Parts: sequence; C-alpha cells; structure tokens
Amino acid sequence: MNKTRLWLVLRREYLSIVAKKSFIVTTILVPFLIVSLGFAMGLMMVLNEAEGDRVAVIDQSGRYASALENTSEYVFESPADYTVANMRDKFESQEDDDEEGNAPYYAIVVIPASVDSILQVSVYSSSPTRSSLREEVESQLSKAITDARVASYGIPELDRIIKESQAEVVVRTNTWNADGETSVTSDDLMSVIGMALAFLTYMFVLTYGAMIMSSVVEDKVNRIVEVIVSSCKPIELMLGKIMGVALVGLTQVAIWAVLLGVGLLILSGIGVAGAVAAGSGAALDAASMGPDAAAVITADGEFGEMIQAILGVNWLLLLGMFIVYFIGGYLLYASLFAAFGSAVDQQSDANQFMTPLMMIIVFSLFIGQSCMQNPDGTLGVVCSIIPFTSPIVMMVRLPYEVPVWEMLTSVAILYGTAAFFTWLSARIYRRGILMYGHKSTFADLWRWVK
Amino acid sequence: MNALIEASGIVKRFDCHTALDGVDLTIPEGTIYGLLGPNGAGKTTLIRIINQITNPDEGTVLLNGKPLHPSDVMRVGYLPEERGLYKKMKVIDHIVYLGRLKGMTARDARAEGEKWLRRMHLEEWATKKIEALSKGMAQKVQFIGTVVHHPSLMIFDEPFSGFDPVNAEQLKQEILALNREGATILFSTHNMSSVEEVCNEISLINHSKVVLQGNVAEVRQRFKKNVFKVRVAEPVVAPSPELFDIVGIEPDVMGGSQVMVRLVPGVAMREVIEFLNPRYNILGFEELFPTMNEIFIETVTGKN
Repeated sequence: MNKTRLWLVLRREYLSIVAKKSFIVTTILVPFLIVSLGFAMGLMMVLNEAEGDRVAVIDQSGRYASALENTSEYVFESPADYTVANMRDKFESQEDDDEEGNAPYYAIVVIPASVDSILQVSVYSSSPTRSSLREEVESQLSKAITDARVASYGIPELDRIIKESQAEVVVRTNTWNADGETSVTSDDLMSVIGMALAFLTYMFVLTYGAMIMSSVVEDKVNRIVEVIVSSCKPIELMLGKIMGVALVGLTQVAIWAVLLGVGLLILSGIGVAGAVAAGSGAALDAASMGPDAAAVITADGEFGEMIQAILGVNWLLLLGMFIVYFIGGYLLYASLFAAFGSAVDQQSDANQFMTPLMMIIVFSLFIGQSCMQNPDGTLGVVCSIIPFTSPIVMMVRLPYEVPVWEMLTSVAILYGTAAFFTWLSARIYRRGILMYGHKSTFADLWRWVK
Repeated sequence: MNALIEASGIVKRFDCHTALDGVDLTIPEGTIYGLLGPNGAGKTTLIRIINQITNPDEGTVLLNGKPLHPSDVMRVGYLPEERGLYKKMKVIDHIVYLGRLKGMTARDARAEGEKWLRRMHLEEWATKKIEALSKGMAQKVQFIGTVVHHPSLMIFDEPFSGFDPVNAEQLKQEILALNREGATILFSTHNMSSVEEVCNEISLINHSKVVLQGNVAEVRQRFKKNVFKVRVAEPVVAPSPELFDIVGIEPDVMGGSQVMVRLVPGVAMREVIEFLNPRYNILGFEELFPTMNEIFIETVTGKN
C-alpha cells in the first residue's frame, strides 16, 4: 500500500463529491427541509384546531350532552331536529355546506336514556370514524357519569375523600456508578438517545454506501479505471474511495451540526429577548447561567430532572463506543458496496446486489427498535454480537450499560469481520473493475474471490 | 541492444479459457514494438501483466533484467484501449492527478502538463472541464496523461482507434518523437498499416500463443513468395514453365503492363531477366514483399 497514492485517490474522491452541485444542494436543503417540515406540521396542527369536526349528539337521557366538551378535533352539538328515528335520513341527506356555512356532521353520538345502568353509547357514521372520537366520548362521559354517581350517594365531601385516596406514583430511576455516586437516569431519554444513534448509523451506512457504489460504477462507465489501476493498486483505489466518501459524510454532518448550533443560538436569542420583553428576570437569569445553573434553580421540576438525566448519561463512553461501532460498521458495509459496484457495468444493474445488503441494514434497525423494550433480551444480545447488525443494535443497547466482555467481543468480531470483508471485497473489486459486458452473479463474485 | 522487457513462459488462465499459453517476448530498449493479433488473442492480458494490473499464473517478466517490482509502474505509461477521463475534472488538474499517481511532485506534474498542453495546442483548455472537450481533444489529454511522467516504456493499446486521420497522424508523430527521445514503445493493434510504418519489431499472438516474432524487415523477408513485379511495354508476357509462371497481369497506367511472376524454385532472378530481355522491353523489375496485413492474415488463418 502506497500512502501517497491512497491520499491522492482519497482527496480526488472527496473533492469531486464535495464540489458537486447535488452535494451542496442536499447539504443546505436538508436542514431547511426539516425546519420547514416542522413549520408545516405546526401549521397543520393549528389548522386542524380551527376546523374541528362537527359531531351531533342525541341525548335521550337529557343529562349528559352538556358533559361533552369541545376539543380541538371535535365540536359537539345537539341539533334539536335530530332524533334516533330520523337521524340516518338526516345524516345522509346533509348538503356539503348548510345555510350558515357549517360543514356537514362527521358523526352522530347517541346517549341512551338509561345510560347510568347500560353504560353504552353508540356512534353512527357513514364511514368508519377515527378512534380518537371513541376515546374522547368514552373518557368525557365516564368522568361525568362517575361524578354524577358520586354525587348521588349523598355523602358529604365524598369527592374530596376520593381525590385524597387516589395516589400517583412517580418512578425515578437512579444508577450507581463506580465512584459510588448516584445519578438520575431516564428510561425514555436512554431509548431516545439509543435510537437516535442507531438511526444515525443506519442513515450514514445507507446513504454513503450507495455513494461509494455509484462512484465505483461511475469509474467503470467512464472507462477511467484501467488508466488508474495501471498507476495504483486496486485496493488503494477502493480504500481511497471508501475513506474519501467517509470524509464527505463527516463534512456533511459537521455542516449540519454548525447549522443546528447557529439555529439553536438564534432560537435561544429569540427566547431571551422574549423573556426580557416579558420582564421576567428569573427566566433571563436561568437562561444566561447555562444548563447547570438552570438545573439547580428548577432542580425539583421536571425540567431539572431531565437535565440531571442528561448529565447522568455516560457521554464519554457512549460517544466513544458510537464512533468505534460507527467506523466498524461503515467499513464493513462500504467495502461490500464497493465490491458489488465493481461487478456491474451500469448503475441500474446494481439492484440485485444492493437489495440483500439493504435488507440486512433495514432489518438491523427493526431489531434495534424491538430492543428498546428489552435491551438485554436474547435477540438483542445475539444481534449485537453478529457484525452485520451490531453497529445498529448495539447503539440501542449501549445507553443501558452493556457488560464489558460483551462489548469487547462484539467490537472484536465487528472489526475482524470488517477486515475480512475488506480483503474479500478487494479481491472481487480487483477482478470486477476490469470486467465489461458481462452480467455478473453472486456465483461469479465467489469465483473471483477464490 | 539491451532488453527492456523480457517476458518468458507467461501463462494466464481465466475461469473457462487460457488467455496466454507460454508466451515469450523480448522488447529491446529503444524500439517500437508491435504486439499484433486478432481480437481476443490475449494482447490486452499480456499488457496488463506487464503493467502489473494482473499477475501471471506462470512465468516471469523482467524489466532491465530484474523481476518487476511494484515501484516499476512509475516507469511505465499505459494508454488502454478502454480509456476515459473523469468528466468533471479540469484538464490540467486531471493531468496533474495522473502524473502524481505515477510519483511526480505536484509542481513537476503541472509544469510538464502545461508543456504538453502547449505542444498539443490545448493550452487554452487547461482550466476547462474534461466534459467541455471534443472527443479528439479528450484523446489528446489522455495521451498527455500517459506520457507526462516521462516513462521509459510506453504502452499503447489500439492508440489510433477513435482518432480522426489528422489527429491520428499527429499522435503518430508524437509517438515517433518520444521514441527518438529514448522511450521504448509497445504498440498493441490489429491495424496492420500502422505497424509497417512505425514498428521495428513485432510479435503476433493468436489463440494465446506467439505465432510469429521478429524484426519487421526480417519477417517480411521470411514471408516473401518469390514473386516479382515486371513492368514491360507489351500488353502480355507469355509464361515459361521451366523458369516462372504468371500470377497476375494488370495494365500499367504509364502504358504497357505489370506482370506478377512467381519464380520456379531454384531459378535465379538473373536467369529470368536474361530470358525476358531479348523478348520484351523491360521497364522495371522488383521483388514483391508481402505486407504485414497479408502475413497477419496468412498466419492467423493458415494455421487454423
């Protein structure tokens, strides 16, 4: 291996991708898209609120219609002309908009006269209704009926007694570390962090794996590859590409991180300005003193617990291991993408090789997801040893403190396999790049390896 | 003359066929060597072995008497038959990239690249992208990329394919100039007319084996058929079975006719002239050597 040539290939690969318009556009567009998507979702929620579906209530008991309160999704009305007998005709003969410009009723809720004993309410509509309507009616009516019943017992202060007898348990998880300190941890936070890291690995491997593949195919399509391998070894070309694309990915992530930082800075700036405008000195103090101080000030609040939980995560280990798995996983998949890319003459032929690889990666993410519930289950443990799934599955399990021996075994196997597959891929690549006009199969690749 | 490349007993097998079967080849330093053969004969495989792109299954290749070493790629420049460039790169950057891969410093590669671009009248295109070039210009840039690092051995696989006649001639002149400056050239082609014009030595490969090898003049001498072209003022010449037979008569544009005569084995040219001289007005007399094309076809088809 010649380091100068490897560096030259790497540099050319990196510059050629970074200078592409598509790279610049995606790098700038993606954060923009995410922000506008967030905006759009917020906007949609606001719009949804404004336009709650109208629901007609026929209250035969005459007592509970008023108990149904309007929500952002539903507006409950009791039209006088609706009865159980005529409701179907009425419902089906609704015009698109009536004289007052109201939208037609979305559904009809019928509360029977003897609702206290039967406890059954019916919803009618011409098409299946959303489950949220059922949930809303159930919860609102059962509360109203319960209250009514409590009142009917005629025992003074019964509602206060019941309220007092209800207990709410809050579970706060603590973790002892080696130094004998106790830190607050949060299950939710752990699974969010784990899944986020797993997803990052997944996206990175898929996106940049495909980028390597297309770069390899492009070399073949351009017919440049034979010129290049007369100067440098195929493995130098392959590794140069893999490393160059990895650098492209890191550049992209770094740009996004900077954009995110700038965005947060602007947002917090707006937040501080808003706090000043509201004359709330305390909020300003908390914001300007940083998260530690804020945590002290509101240590008893939920926010404080969140901060404590964030501080309670072993970030050094987590991020360190993330990088270790990330590199191992990337190398393993990238070399395979390169090998498969070398075996085809054009991009469109690549699918037969891409598909199994993509399936394994997607499958890993599924396993990772199911590991969120049970991080130390057999499936999780096995899949965090298997090198093809471990980079993603281990990310989900890592925040839950995986035993050291398991971690070491898994890392060793991952790197061993990555090295083996890089070697294997180099053998395929060496043959594949000079092969034209021949539709290669897995059997061919196997022959090239031998 | 020292041998620059000495390949002996080269065998290369692929999955279902043998591409090279015991090929020996010696390229003397300073020659223009032609590697001939029909498509699929194994030329490209042999070239790839000399370029260390693939390794032979058997046999050795010596460069200046020493086995090929990975660093020797720097002494070789290779223009493959399947060639292309990175379309998005600038012309000069591309040349510098290829030069640096061959071990040049960035500064040397740039200086040499600019020199060559001037020589090829492409200096205005130096900072343009490859995709902006015409096909002929791109081919020239490709050529510059092959020779920019002053290789002592230059290998051209079908160099003239895809060139128009004007550019092909310019390329030929550049190759001859490089040869005069001391470079050894290995040509791989099935275009025989170019072989006669430029090559000193040839190897003809057919079906994985060398079937003919040697100095071009010697080979043509070896393949001569004892046929002479006699130009006479008369329209016909009568055959004389004990001396020669007539293989063809064509009217000569200058008047009279051209008669191809094949001498009977053992008969000297002098005897034929003595026979013809009193009977006809001899205007010219020359021996016909077969063209490389004829030798090529005869060798390739005759041995099958």
